Amino acid sequence: MGGKVTCTLGEVKQRADFIVYWGGNPAECHPRHFTKYTIMQKSKFLPRGRKDRTMVLVDIRETKSAKAADIFLQVKPGKDFELITILRALIKDQHVGDEQIAETGMTRAGLDDLVHRMKSCKFGVFFFGMGLSMTRGKHMNSAALLTLAAEMNAFTKFVAMPMRGHGNVTGADVIMRWQTGYPFGITFNRGYPRYNPGEFSTVDVLVRGDCDAAFIIGADPGATMPQPAIDHLARIPTICLDPHVTHTSRLARVHITTAAQGISAPGTAYRMDELPLPLKPALKSPYPSDEEVVRRINEAIAKKPFWLPDGSQPQVVTAIG
Amino acid sequence: MLKITGGKVYDPANEINGQIKDLCIDDNGRFVESVSGGRTIDATGMIIFPGGVDVHTHVAGGAMNFARAMTPEDHRRTQAFIRTQSRRSGLGGMAPTTFATGYLYAGMGFTTVNEAAVPVLSARHTHEELADIPIVDKATLTLMANNEIMLDQMQAGEYERAKNVVAWYLWAAKSYGVKAVNPGGVAAWKWGSDAKQLNDPIAGYSSLTPGKIVTMLATICDDLQLPHPMHLHCNNLGAPGNISTTLDTLKHLEGHRAHIAHSQYHAYGGDDWDTMCSATSQLAEYFNTHPNITTDAGAVLFGDTVTITADGPWQHLLYKLTGRKWGNLDVENETGCGIVPYTYRPSNLVNAVQWASGLELMLLIKSPWQVFLSTDHPNGGCFWRYPEIIQLLMCADFRKECIAKLPDKIKNRITLPEIDREYTLYEVATSMSAGPARALGLHQKGNLGIGCDADLVIYEEEIDIARMFSHPRYVIKAGEIVIEDGDIRETPHGREFLVKPSYAPETDEFMRPLFEDCYTMQFDNYPVEIERIENPDVRILPGS
Repeated sequence: MGGKVTCTLGEVKQRADFIVYWGGNPAECHPRHFTKYTIMQKSKFLPRGRKDRTMVLVDIRETKSAKAADIFLQVKPGKDFELITILRALIKDQHVGDEQIAETGMTRAGLDDLVHRMKSCKFGVFFFGMGLSMTRGKHMNSAALLTLAAEMNAFTKFVAMPMRGHGNVTGADVIMRWQTGYPFGITFNRGYPRYNPGEFSTVDVLVRGDCDAAFIIGADPGATMPQPAIDHLARIPTICLDPHVTHTSRLARVHITTAAQGISAPGTAYRMDELPLPLKPALKSPYPSDEEVVRRINEAIAKKPFWLPDGSQPQVVTAIG
Repeated sequence: MLKITGGKVYDPANEINGQIKDLCIDDNGRFVESVSGGRTIDATGMIIFPGGVDVHTHVAGGAMNFARAMTPEDHRRTQAFIRTQSRRSGLGGMAPTTFATGYLYAGMGFTTVNEAAVPVLSARHTHEELADIPIVDKATLTLMANNEIMLDQMQAGEYERAKNVVAWYLWAAKSYGVKAVNPGGVAAWKWGSDAKQLNDPIAGYSSLTPGKIVTMLATICDDLQLPHPMHLHCNNLGAPGNISTTLDTLKHLEGHRAHIAHSQYHAYGGDDWDTMCSATSQLAEYFNTHPNITTDAGAVLFGDTVTITADGPWQHLLYKLTGRKWGNLDVENETGCGIVPYTYRPSNLVNAVQWASGLELMLLIKSPWQVFLSTDHPNGGCFWRYPEIIQLLMCADFRKECIAKLPDKIKNRITLPEIDREYTLYEVATSMSAGPARALGLHQKGNLGIGCDADLVIYEEEIDIARMFSHPRYVIKAGEIVIEDGDIRETPHGREFLVKPSYAPETDEFMRPLFEDCYTMQFDNYPVEIERIENPDVRILPGS
C-alpha cells in the first residue's frame, strides 16, 4: 500500500467518463470544480459533456452536491474504510458477506452496480475530501482509496486526487518537499530536516509548549487549532504576517500587514494537482508582500552571529542501519 | 584569479593525455593563457579533469518531488547535511533534496547536469527547483514525443506545423532541447495501453506509429539546429527481447543525429523473464558503425533506489511485478510519469543481467566519445555512486570479483566475463565530461582550453579508484574553489542553459484554440517567464 495514482485536472476534463466524489461537497466547497474540470466540460473524447459522464457521490449526508450526482451512496458515518475495503474485494471477485455490506449502509445490488460501472468506464477518477481523510481512520482511509484506484488499473484507467483547499497549502507542501524531502511536520532542531507528523506538526509542538517563538504566515491557527495550542501562541512571542486582522493577529505580539497574494502581490499558487500557476496582481498595495518581509527579516538575521561557534563545523550524520 | 601548477592534465577535448601543464583562470571564470597575482594551487602529483557533465539525470521537477514524498523511509536512513554558514541543510539518499543535490554533485567533481525530462506544464516548477540546486550549471529537456497537439499535426502529415509547435513549446518551457519518451506509448497509456512496436498505429490514432514520430521528431531537432539532438528513450523499455525494438528504432534514425538515453534498459535478448539475457554486443556493434549516434549507459548498481520515468505504462508493470508503492501522474496533453521504489539484487537474475549489461555497453562501445557515464539517476542507481562504476570500468580484476558473486545461472546470459578492457583515465575523462559536453553542444564545458568555463576537478592519485573519484581534493566551478580538502567552501549559483528556436509568428494564434480545448490553465499564463530563470544563458538559434 502506498503511492498515488493521479493526473492533472486537464486529463479529467478531457477523458473522465466516471467521476466519484468521496467525502466532499464540491458544490459548496469547490464551486468551480464541476464546471471547469469535471462533469460539465465537453471535450474531444466526451463531446456531449455531462451526458457522456457519470458522477457518483459518496457521503454520510445528502449535501447540495448530491443534486448534481447520478448516483448518491449514503455511507454510514465512520464506515468509509470498510466500504473501500469491500470494493477492493468485490473488484477481484472475492467473497463479501451480506452483513459486512449492510454495516456500511450499502446494498449488494448497489455495490454490484457500482463495481460494474467502475470496471466498464474508460477513465475513472476518485476525488476525496476531508469527509474521508479527516474522519475516523484518517490517513488510512486515504491510503485505502488510493490503493483501490491503483488496483482498478488492472481493469481500466483509474486515478485519484485529494480535494485540497485553504489557499496555497499545496504550494507549501511542494516547496518543503524539494528543500527538505518532507511535506510538513518537519523539525530542524538538529540542524537538518526530520519528519514525524504527530510529533513535529505545528499543533503538536504548540500543545506540548516546545517552541519559544512562532512565526505565522498564510494561516490563522488562532481560529482553528485546539485551545492549548492557542494558549501557547498567546504566551510566546508570536509574529503574524497577514493582510487582514485575524484571530491569530489579535493574539500575536507583532502583526505585519502584508499585501494580499494574487490581488495586490504577485507570486505562484499550486493547484490541487500540483500545477504552479502564476499570480498576476490586479491592484497595487501600500503594504509589502510576504516575500519581501521574509527576505528583509532574513537579511537582518544574517547580520547576527551564526548559531555555531566561530570556526567550528558540524559533522555529517549518517544514521545507523 | 587562480593558477594551478604541476598537475597531470587529462583534457580529451584538446587531446591532452596526462601531460604536466599549468592552468590559469581569470576573474571571469574562464581559462586564459596567463595570470599575474591571485592564488596558486600546487597540484604536483595530482590529476586534473574537466568538471563532470551528466548528460542524463533526474534531479528536479514534479516527478522527482513526487518521489521525495514517496520515500520518507529512505530520507531517515540517509546522509544528512547539517546547515553551516556556507551551506543549507538537506538530505541525500535516492531522491536527494535540492541543496543536497548540488553539494553531492559538486562533491564528486560534477559541474554541469542535464535534467532530462520536463513537462512544459510544470516547467515553471522545475526551473524554481533548479534555482535551489547550487553550484552546478543546468540544462533541461522538454518531453515532446507524446504531446497530442504535436501528434495530431504529425498524423495529418503537417510537418512544418509540427516543427513550429515543437519550437513554440521549447521556448514556452525555457528549455534546452527535446526529450522523447516511449513515443506514442505514453499517449496510449492515457487509455491504459502502450506502444511497443515501431510500426503499429498508436491507440487513438489511425495511422501514426512510434516509428513515424521518431523519424519526424529527429528531423525537427535537426532542422531547428538544436545544439543537442533528439534525446530518445526508446519504446519497449526494460522488456526481455527488446533489442529488436531498439535496433528497429535506430533504423528509423538513419541519417539523423540522436542521443539514445540509458541504453542498458534497451539491450535485452530472450523471450520472457526466465530467458532474459544481455544483447549488448548487437547494440554496441551498431554504435561502433554509426558515429552520428551517442548514448549514455543507464548502468545499474545493486541496492535500493527509486525509479522515475515519464514511461507511465512501464511503471504500472513494475508496480505489478514488485507490489511496492506506485506513483503515477498523467500530465494533460503532454506526457505521463510513474514512480516505483526498487531494489536491485545480485541474486535476482534479471537484475544481474541489467548490472552486467550497463558495464558491457560502456566496454563494448569502442569510442568513449559515444557512450557516457550515467545511471539514469535515480533509476539504475544514485548519481553519487558513479565512482563505483568508474572502478568497475578501470579494474578488470575487481569486475571479475564482482561477477564471481553473481548466481551461476548468469554465465551464458552475459558477455561481461569475456571482456578484459580497462578504461584509462583519459577515457574516463572523455566519458564523464568531454564526451557528454560535446553531445550536449556545450562547447565551453568539458574542455580545459583557453576561453572555456573554468570548471575542473583535482584528484589525488590513489589506488582505490572509487575513493579517489568520490573524494576530489579540489573542485573549481567558474574559477571559484567550491570544494577544498573535502569541505564545501562556496556555494555559488549556477547558470541555466536554454535555447530560443525560431517558429512562425502565427504559431501563437494557431496554438491558442487547440490549447484552450485541452488544457485547464490560461494560454497567456502557460509559457514560463524568462524572469523566472536564475542566470539564464540563452542561445539564439538560426532563423530567430
